[in-house]
Amino acid sequence: MNDILLEIKDLHASAGDKEILRGVNLEIGRGEIHAVMGPNGAGKSTLSSVLTGKPEYTVTQGSIEFMGQDLLAMKPEERAWAGIFMSFQYPIEIPGVSITNFMKTAINSKRKAQGIEPMKAADFLRLMKEKMALVQMKPEFAKREVNVGFSGGEKKRNEIFQMAMLDPTLAILDETDSGLDVDALKIVADGVKALHSPEKSAIIITHYQKLLEYVRPDVVHVLKAGRIVATGGYEIVDKIENEGFEQF
Amino acid sequence: MKALNSSNMGGRSMNIQMRESEGAIHGKKGTVDHGNYVEVPVVCGPGVKEIASGEHIHEVFVVGPDGTQASLPSGIVVGEAATADIIFIVLPGVKQDIPLTVDLVGEGSTVHLAGIYLCSGNDHVTFDITMNHRVGHCVSRQVFNGLAANASKAEFFGRIVVAPDAQKTEAYQENHNVVLSDNAHVNTKPRLEIYADDVKCSHGATVGRLDEDAQFYMESRGIPEDEAKVLQMISFVAPVLEYAPEADREALATRVEDAIRHLSSV
Repeated sequence: MNDILLEIKDLHASAGDKEILRGVNLEIGRGEIHAVMGPNGAGKSTLSSVLTGKPEYTVTQGSIEFMGQDLLAMKPEERAWAGIFMSFQYPIEIPGVSITNFMKTAINSKRKAQGIEPMKAADFLRLMKEKMALVQMKPEFAKREVNVGFSGGEKKRNEIFQMAMLDPTLAILDETDSGLDVDALKIVADGVKALHSPEKSAIIITHYQKLLEYVRPDVVHVLKAGRIVATGGYEIVDKIENEGFEQF
Repeated sequence: MKALNSSNMGGRSMNIQMRESEGAIHGKKGTVDHGNYVEVPVVCGPGVKEIASGEHIHEVFVVGPDGTQASLPSGIVVGEAATADIIFIVLPGVKQDIPLTVDLVGEGSTVHLAGIYLCSGNDHVTFDITMNHRVGHCVSRQVFNGLAANASKAEFFGRIVVAPDAQKTEAYQENHNVVLSDNAHVNTKPRLEIYADDVKCSHGATVGRLDEDAQFYMESRGIPEDEAKVLQMISFVAPVLEYAPEADREALATRVEDAIRHLSSV
């Protein structure tokens, strides 16, 4: 039996009057890591925004099924509860809200939706400590306001930390590697690898090959002008590195 | 919050920093053109609080629908080398004018005025503040953040007057507002009257809405829409709570959070 986690069929999506995705087809099996590469303006960020339910994009045609559910009928928070997580390209600052409070609210909102009691304070703090250690985040960050005054690398690390806390079935990394130095990139990659398991899948959206050198994807897609124009193995990454996106 | 500042709707922000006026360069050092300065009498009367020289006060005024207004001061006279830290918390369900005149009459004093107002229903809250720097070497700082929901109206009139002899004054004022509904109304009018020539003064006023990007960020983490709004509102007023006495801060934060939850559910 082929265990398909995510199935995107003929997806068309617009921002305002502008059609950006023009018939995307994509299947992601359980346990697989896929990379979506493409030049600027190809529709990479639109794809991740549509998957997570960002309000300014309109789906005009097509469907997305996630574990058999109609993803497009779900609110962003319902998608999160179902097991989807996106690491933001530009994480948002939330002054006055500590990382601890933010994560506690996120985790307990999901539990509430599932009819489970809120997590016990001691269990929650143990989980925080464990996941912060996993992404090598300093303990004092627990009290820091979400992303306020963080460097680019710290913000991305905080995204991977949140991903570790929320333990998604499908992780979407939207240009998580942009603006990172090699050390920060390694931490992100190690985090992604450590969180990966045969039950979980990931989509890595990027236009560089660097992150893909660390996290070897199983399948590589090339997105260009709103369509997937090529799909293959890691050899596509090498092809892009040598000859760019023009060839597709 | 970043987007609140950038969605500055009609608010103004300016910075005045003056050193050595032309008059001083031409040998009139020590004298200043009084311009249109009109000296008004120092506030007095039953609602006026006097802070003696060297005294330090730190007070919280919670204004609720049950009528806490009787104890609000209408004026504060601050002596020499004194400090006055005053924070107002206006809860939902209030219709009230809050006029307050602060007279700094002794050098070397510091005044902090902070305020949070949470307006809902048909509430109408007006802060009308005058900060009179009558003598030099004093610092005043005002930070007022408010939320206006439903058909409520929130107004902030903040006037800073720096007298001709009040050199080395530092006077700052911030007023930020979030409008939560199309029927809510916010009016913010900062006014600076500076007659001295060696002062640091600034004011900033914004009126905005909740930030959609922050909203989506929180929702994408599994925080439902209403809870994400509550977190944004808490985030918005949080900087003002820093001005509360440390011992009261947590209790006040809880009270404000409860009021915000009530605000977003009506």
